[in-house]
Amino acid sequence: MASEVTMSAETAHDDHPGHGSTGLYLTVFFALCILTSLSFLTYFDFWRDRVSVGVSRTFMMAVSCSKAMLVITFFMHLKWETNWKWMLTIPASLMSIFLMIVLVPDIGLRMRHASQDRMIYAAEVQAEEQADHSHESEDEHSEHSHEAEHESEHPST
Amino acid sequence: MSDNPKDDGPSHGPNFDYQPALPISNGKTFMWLFLSTEIMFFAALFGTYLVLRFGAISWPSTHDVHLAEIWGATNTFVLICSSVTIVLALEAAKKNNASLAKSWMILTTLLGVVFLGIKMYEYKAKFSHSLYPQYPHSQIYEKADVYYSQAVRKRLAVLKAELENTTDRTEAQNEQLTLVDSISLDYVVPAEKAIREDPASPAGRILLLEMADAIYPRASVHDQHKRSTHAAALSSNFHLASTSTPAATGHVQGLNDLYPWLKLPIMIPGGNMWVSTYFLLTGFHALHVIIGLIAFAIMLTKTLGTSNAGLIENVGLYWHFVDLVWIFLFPLLYLF
Repeated sequence: MASEVTMSAETAHDDHPGHGSTGLYLTVFFALCILTSLSFLTYFDFWRDRVSVGVSRTFMMAVSCSKAMLVITFFMHLKWETNWKWMLTIPASLMSIFLMIVLVPDIGLRMRHASQDRMIYAAEVQAEEQADHSHESEDEHSEHSHEAEHESEHPST
Repeated sequence: MSDNPKDDGPSHGPNFDYQPALPISNGKTFMWLFLSTEIMFFAALFGTYLVLRFGAISWPSTHDVHLAEIWGATNTFVLICSSVTIVLALEAAKKNNASLAKSWMILTTLLGVVFLGIKMYEYKAKFSHSLYPQYPHSQIYEKADVYYSQAVRKRLAVLKAELENTTDRTEAQNEQLTLVDSISLDYVVPAEKAIREDPASPAGRILLLEMADAIYPRASVHDQHKRSTHAAALSSNFHLASTSTPAATGHVQGLNDLYPWLKLPIMIPGGNMWVSTYFLLTGFHALHVIIGLIAFAIMLTKTLGTSNAGLIENVGLYWHFVDLVWIFLFPLLYLF
């Protein structure tokens, strides 16, 4: 047993000198800078005019994940760590993914159901269109507002 | 193992090598455990932001809320630089080059301070446009309705009372009083009159939207307006502030920009949710930066040789995590 321990300690020590050099860190740094400027490209009009929103969002998240992987692998030295790294990183990543999924039905989907009032004033409908539309839906809207008035009277009585 | 373990003390036999659970120091184990809890902490914040944002009926564009992408990109660059410098500090400390390690550490601290400086500048820009996360400072209304015009009317009344109560008014104050009266006559009174006289007609609602636009012109609306054909813009009975003010470059100036003392209520659909999530996410991140800077300040009092390399590594791990969070915050807040 003792020999096993010393052996594992030795192999660990053998791995440690490969902790990267200044050159490697600078390479990673330049890669990170290039990736940052790539995601910043999406800000300019020439990109926005050509690429759809969904594609550029996916692209930005892919760039961010690549940057995160670079930082974790090289700067946080996980490349040179032994197997314990999986024990800590995998459960934490899974838990964080579950956390996001769990929020979807309670908050995300609930927000999707908007009242008539909220829909009318929503920002997606452009101001000019809204002005034009309100001509058409004039009668409909007044009916709704009357209903709303009746409803609001109920709790007070 | 030994023949009689009880003679050799309470712990273990002489040939028994005690194997730690993990082949790393306790400090590093705790730092990684702490970071895994931090991953979940920020995952909850990011998750809430994402579901609120994509579940929201309306969400302001970055320029609607005066968010400048260039500062976010600069801050990303600053944090990446600081990640490199702290790695280099660790390398120097491992080679027992304490003075070099200290210089890298000082540079890292300075970069952290630069990040916070830019963040403060950005916060100040939000506050100067009445974008606050909470009452009583928050003046964001979700829609241009009668409650909005009421809030504008009240604010104008307060300003008017203040100005009228000053005994010997200066020339500037007289001009302010004229301006307050003219805003009230040009925007609030016609809109409220139209709503009162014919509630079913869209005329009043259009006047309210025009008032909101004159006070706080939203960049997304004006961009859309510029892109749409000229004929369509002319035939519409809705007049935006940009058509009357000749400001061709940069942001369209609203009343709140031209006269900062007015501080009139503003209308941004989805604006309240935006300020809440923005200040929560960046605030918690800034808090982590501040804690990192305190750790750096403590480190700078020590000799950063081989003996303290482990400490630098642990602080470095934390700092890289702070960098990681910003790597995701930047595109999600500034570019999405």
